[in-house]
Amino acid sequence: MNELVTLVEESATRLFKDFSESDTYDSMEAGAFPTQLWNDFLADGWLRTTLAEEEDGAGLGLEGGYVLMRLAGYYAAPIPIMEPLLGLHLLSQVGLPITDELFIPVVIDNDSIMDNISITGVPWARDAAGLVIVFTSNGRTWINLMRPESYIVTASQNMAGEPRDDVQLIVNPLNGAERLENIITASQITSWLALGKSVMTAGALQRVLERTVEYATERSQFGRQIGKFQAVQQQLAVQAELTSASNCAVDAAIGHIGTTQEWELIVCAKITTAEAAGYAAKTAHAIHAAIGFTHEYPLQISTRRLWSWRDEYGNEQQWSTRLGEHTLKFNNDGLWPWLTTQTSE
Amino acid sequence: MQRLNFEPVLTGKAEAALRSDVRRFLANQDAFPPAEVIDSWSVCNPEFSRLLAAEGWLGMTWPTEYGGGGRSYLERYVVIEELLAAGAPVGAHWVADRQSGPLLLRFGTEEQRQHFLPKIVRGECFFAIGMSEANSGSDLASIKTRAERIDGGWLVNGSKIWTSWAHVCQQMITLCRTEAPTKDRHAGLSQFIIDLDHEGITMNPIKNMAGEEHFNEIFFDNVFVPDTRVIGEVNQGWNQVMAELAFERSGPERFLSSYRLLEAAVEILHEEDLQQHTSAIIGQFTARLMVLRQMSLSVANQLQQGKLPVNEASVVKDLGTSFEQELPDALRLILSTEARLDAKHGVERLLSDAILKSPSFSLRGGTREILRGIISRGLGLR
Repeated sequence: MNELVTLVEESATRLFKDFSESDTYDSMEAGAFPTQLWNDFLADGWLRTTLAEEEDGAGLGLEGGYVLMRLAGYYAAPIPIMEPLLGLHLLSQVGLPITDELFIPVVIDNDSIMDNISITGVPWARDAAGLVIVFTSNGRTWINLMRPESYIVTASQNMAGEPRDDVQLIVNPLNGAERLENIITASQITSWLALGKSVMTAGALQRVLERTVEYATERSQFGRQIGKFQAVQQQLAVQAELTSASNCAVDAAIGHIGTTQEWELIVCAKITTAEAAGYAAKTAHAIHAAIGFTHEYPLQISTRRLWSWRDEYGNEQQWSTRLGEHTLKFNNDGLWPWLTTQTSE
Repeated sequence: MQRLNFEPVLTGKAEAALRSDVRRFLANQDAFPPAEVIDSWSVCNPEFSRLLAAEGWLGMTWPTEYGGGGRSYLERYVVIEELLAAGAPVGAHWVADRQSGPLLLRFGTEEQRQHFLPKIVRGECFFAIGMSEANSGSDLASIKTRAERIDGGWLVNGSKIWTSWAHVCQQMITLCRTEAPTKDRHAGLSQFIIDLDHEGITMNPIKNMAGEEHFNEIFFDNVFVPDTRVIGEVNQGWNQVMAELAFERSGPERFLSSYRLLEAAVEILHEEDLQQHTSAIIGQFTARLMVLRQMSLSVANQLQQGKLPVNEASVVKDLGTSFEQELPDALRLILSTEARLDAKHGVERLLSDAILKSPSFSLRGGTREILRGIISRGLGLR
């Protein structure tokens, strides 16, 4: 994976670095879509990162897409990246037409599909060219690319000010839906989205760790750098441990895409990153003290995302429950072989 | 700031075959006594160690010229995690296999390697760790045991404490002061291989709070150690000890000490109507175990590549021992039972053992505070 990481990192970093200007965040939070940045993103072809070369893609697959999403999390990119990447990837997987537009993938959990379905927390729905709706009905999985005339959007935001809108479908999603035949399941798409958020969280965790270590070596109190105090070092060491565990967990999950252990490795990544997010945000703010609590200081750009993202696509309690139910299906002899299979070719 | 490296690694065909061999071997053993499966790498059973030796599972990574298996670190990882997960009594040879042998391979003389390594591999020679003293725990550089140069060797005086199984082991690698302390506290220390049968050595057993007697306090009264039993360079003992500790910090024993309790809990709970709370706790600890295995394997792979991932090893140990300590605490809340000191079997006994043994998990091999200090240094804070 290392070569791929280097390849994507080098070129994407150039783009993402310019994002970090706070007026971009302020205007995004006030409701303005960052058109310029989005257009730059499109112009460089990043939207098609995962797609094959014959689809004018970069040919990097989901693996490459997730590397890009980790950078987006690291730099707290104020444009939608994870959702349109996965939205387009999904369209390509099922053979629907691909265009360079903002498509947001949405999985409806409800098994009773009817008129007037309400969906909460849809990322960037207000700016989307369409929603890629995936749902299960009568035991079958369906997909429907619904255009804005089929739904009503009420704007809302997560704690980081990112668009998380409420959507009311005014057309039954079964109208014009296509069946997903053995290509992909709704639960697989749900886990891909959860992995996207985990990967972004892992990137943000790394950024917050670096910022906090840097601050601890710059800031002096009682005549020495605060990072020289053991009490501070012990907290930062734990933050580094959880950050590295998170990055290891997402790396392992990315490496298992397409294998029979994909689901459990993704669930593990979501639980690990969501748990680390709370500790890291809390510790980073404790060490930055008052300056980190200001709007002007950039720490909050990442920590508000950590607090939001740990809940999105399932928090650690919800995923732990599902993983625990899975674990508890094993009897005495099955648990250990299952664990060891996860790290075997 | 150097990023910590935990690049995931997958084991291949050779490891899979080996794993099957170990499982077959374990299936042919009598069931391990329930009172010995928690923290089973502190359970000493020389006979069992010799069975493993016969399979070629001691000194697995060492060169074949010393009787070693010439296998990879990943292959050794697979064998030891299978044994630990089964609660096998691997304590007799554990130190010799994990750190003493590798230390001799790295710093020892050719004569030392030829003399000791084949015996370790055959399960005939066990090593104890002689580092801590009554007044030197985390502050290892403050040790007082002295070795004075005399004709043809050294005269050792002083004492060591918390030496697990020293009364069973044949040899102890002993850290001694060979020069008076200077401004550089880490200078002037040396490592010696001391034959524990030697005249002038006395031992007092120390019973621990879980009722076990593997600890000792050991006294040296004018014990002669020949020059040929100095490890590496005189006065360079500190750097050698640090390298030795890197080997011992990242293995699966740092998170599997209470694993048998998890299996026992799963066995009970999987029969029950589950509450969401119960599943969530099991899921949370499953996820932690999954990540720890990935991280520990990654470190094993880095050791295989010739790297010395000291910071990463400290991370695995700190996260790992937190896991194995917190596991019994969490499971006691979802198992409708109470721990029983005298239970012969069952989860009541495992809970009791796991809770009573757990304080040592984060003390041995470097306390939490020491490990976090090492990680902080890696972050550039000290």
